[in-house]
Amino acid sequence: MNALVPSPDTIPVAWGWFQGLLMLVFPLHLLLMNAMLGSAAIALYARIRGGETDVRLSHELARALPFLVAFTINLGVAALLFIQVLFGHLLYTSSVLMAVFWLGVPLLLIIAYYAIYLYDFRFASLGRGGTLLMVLALVIFLAIAFFFTNNMTLMLEPRQWIAYFRNPGGTILNADSSVIWPRYLHLITGGLAVGGLFVALFGRFTGQRDPQLGARALELGMNLFTILTLAQIVIGFWFLVSLPRPVMLLFMGGNVAATALLGTGLLLAVAVLAAGFRKNIVASASMAVPLVFLMAFMRDAVRSGYLKPFFTPDMLKVIPQYSPLLMFIFSLVGGIIAIYWMLRKTIKLYR
Amino acid sequence: MNYPVWYIPEVGGGLLIAVIAIIHVFISHFAVGGGLYLVIAERKGLREKNRAILDFTRSHAKFFLLMTMVAGGVTGVAIWFVISLVQPAATSLLIHIFVFGWATEWVFFLVEIVAIFVYFYTFGRMDDRTHQAVGWIYFIAAWLSLLLINGIINFMLSPGAWLENDSFWSAFFNPLFWPSLFFRTAVSCMLAGVYAFLTSAFLKDAAVKQTMTRFSAKWVLGSYLAAIPCGIWYYASVPPPARALIAGASPTIQRTLHAGFWALIALAVLTLVLVILRPAFHSRPVAMFVFISAFIFMGAFEWTREAARRPYVINEVMYSNGILKAEMAGLKQNGFLRSARWVQQKDLHEESLLDAGRELFVNQCYACHTIGGINNDILARTKTMSYPAILSYLGTIHDKRYFMPPFAGNEAEARALAAFIVKGLQGKTITEGGAPGGSKGQALFDANCTACHGQDIIRSLTTGWERARVRKGLNRLSALNPAMPDYQGTPAEKEALADFIVSLNSPQPAAPAKGHDHGEDVFEQNCSMCHTLRDGGNPLLPKVAGWDQQRIRKTLDILDTLKGSIMPPLKASPADKDALAAFLASSSKGGAE
Repeated sequence: MNALVPSPDTIPVAWGWFQGLLMLVFPLHLLLMNAMLGSAAIALYARIRGGETDVRLSHELARALPFLVAFTINLGVAALLFIQVLFGHLLYTSSVLMAVFWLGVPLLLIIAYYAIYLYDFRFASLGRGGTLLMVLALVIFLAIAFFFTNNMTLMLEPRQWIAYFRNPGGTILNADSSVIWPRYLHLITGGLAVGGLFVALFGRFTGQRDPQLGARALELGMNLFTILTLAQIVIGFWFLVSLPRPVMLLFMGGNVAATALLGTGLLLAVAVLAAGFRKNIVASASMAVPLVFLMAFMRDAVRSGYLKPFFTPDMLKVIPQYSPLLMFIFSLVGGIIAIYWMLRKTIKLYR
Repeated sequence: MNYPVWYIPEVGGGLLIAVIAIIHVFISHFAVGGGLYLVIAERKGLREKNRAILDFTRSHAKFFLLMTMVAGGVTGVAIWFVISLVQPAATSLLIHIFVFGWATEWVFFLVEIVAIFVYFYTFGRMDDRTHQAVGWIYFIAAWLSLLLINGIINFMLSPGAWLENDSFWSAFFNPLFWPSLFFRTAVSCMLAGVYAFLTSAFLKDAAVKQTMTRFSAKWVLGSYLAAIPCGIWYYASVPPPARALIAGASPTIQRTLHAGFWALIALAVLTLVLVILRPAFHSRPVAMFVFISAFIFMGAFEWTREAARRPYVINEVMYSNGILKAEMAGLKQNGFLRSARWVQQKDLHEESLLDAGRELFVNQCYACHTIGGINNDILARTKTMSYPAILSYLGTIHDKRYFMPPFAGNEAEARALAAFIVKGLQGKTITEGGAPGGSKGQALFDANCTACHGQDIIRSLTTGWERARVRKGLNRLSALNPAMPDYQGTPAEKEALADFIVSLNSPQPAAPAKGHDHGEDVFEQNCSMCHTLRDGGNPLLPKVAGWDQQRIRKTLDILDTLKGSIMPPLKASPADKDALAAFLASSSKGGAE
């Protein structure tokens, strides 16, 4: 089995740097992806429901969507870079096995991205076509999430890789895995829930200039958030028990950190839910952000559990070269200063 | 050999990379130069207090945003995806060597996104000075992105001192870094003008259309002139073997350069007309023509750059098929199949020879060759080659044609690969030794020439040549065509080869050996994999018992329509079919054993 696992390449700095960076950018990517997914779903729902306020809300959300798509992609690129540095030898292999779907990700994304721009720029003149465009974008987002779930699980299960010899054409999915559906539903349900919270926050800000619109966004967003967070607790449990037993046991006392993550996550989820029922957006949002971070850390613990028998990142050989890391850090600081300056000028303008 | 191969033999991964990459670079260079164009065009509008120019700049910014952020940005991601699928080993190496280069590029990508959003959505609302500053931030971030990618891409063609010291900085500031950076910057500005032709063609106000046409044409021409010395500098800095490929040793590069050259001429002529002679000539079809010319030029440039890297994907480090140069000697000695991870036939057995050959093909040849596809079709390339010819070719493949990687495997594996190509792909019989009834000259021809051209081409190319001229030509083939390697045979072999080439044009070609039936050869090559004549599981003669030659001949044209439609059509010339029909008819009457 393990004879198929390729040898990894060397890394220039200790693996902890990449792990830290991955654990920083991946949850940020998730938060943006959630906001994108929730906004698209509520924009579609509001448009189908009709009514003056709902249609206006649909358009307002559509105006935010291109930004959300752009930053979701940007942070996704960073997450994919760091995951390739640590786990590339596994990820490239699973990607080749499902190459057709994997290459479909960026190509479908272009279609969804243009559909969203068209929805925004031609909102008034599109009529029913607008609804179809948003359906198209949403279906593509859900499909991309499915492909990601497949790849992120297939890379952890070299036992499944033998399927390549029957089908080298890149059309293998990991759909037979017991974990795939609960994991996918966990991603989507959580994503839509946090997306609902984003729409509620959006409503809080827009409510200052358009109270009717703000109230509607708040109502729809918080409803989506509370209902799906409730469902998420059940799906999360399903996800946990569908994991291979050694991995599952890590969260049940087998590993202190993993168990603590799960316990804290559950407590936070209950607290978030309580705040959600009280329609306390600020409290919900300020707890949902660390909750998404915790979810990302738990996924990492799941990954480590799967890979432990044959790979841990500390096995990567380090050939030290720290000066390029400094270049990255200086650029990041410079980039953040430039972004801060531009955003400050823009916010001033809108005030 | 470390990774599985995504095997889609009719398409080929290389073509997928080429299509996505060419579209991406055509947009991403615009994303750099176009940013500068926006700032300068806006400044022109502000200085001249011309509302119409500012309106044009704003609408151009919208087009720019939609083109570069969506198609440009996501095709960039798509390149990353496709190279990791087609060249996972090389992608992994590039990601690990340059991880902080990529990470830094990601920072500039983020700054670009924020800047272009702010620039477009605040156009006309922000104070001019700040708005111009945002435009400059966009351009600087985009150019720095180009700078970073430029370092990484050129490393692949010219790794320079990294080969000795493993230093990130040596890899990044490789010998091609500066010439390529200047060249690409000039090309970016040229494309900024080309794209602006497109949007300005839609302007309704004739005066501003003329102004922006002239303005854009100056961008194209100025950058064009700047790109020429940069291009020469770039070419002069390319490693000598790659330069030789560009200079003529690679036929595919020659065809590409030809297309790129005429596209550049068209671009220059059209732009000259627009800028100097008649700006009013500018229209949507003209803009589209300029756009397509620029696209062909850009495609030719990128294709050439990629193709000139062969036989490597990372020069002097990793061959196009993902095999490391450092591993080559060991693979030749110990065999490829035992070392590769993603093969099933670890040992060679007679009964699984074709399966092993297929795995060797997938792992070593498929990186560049399709089966029946439009890119480097192996069926067309080996159509005229016999088993001994392919075997001999595999032994010297990299020496004869530099751009092909050496065969990485032992002698038995070379036989398996040759068998797969001859029998598995071409459906011919494997015959050891020379062609039946062939002369020594023919055997030499098969072994040395047929990889690139069959007898028909050589016959027509040497029509009317004296033997002395043929013989002299064999002394220096590269003088006849720079793409041809010189023939390394002995003088006696050259004599024999010259005799054979001359015989191709003689009124009576060399007669087959007496007593040998050509129809039997055709039978061997086309039928014997499924049929015997009399004995065995599927004898052919009982099926045609009592048939005359004419009936057999007619049936040979419609084999694929016979009962059950399980037979493939007979792919043979009418003369071969005639010979086969005669052979079967005479055998049926007891003429052959």
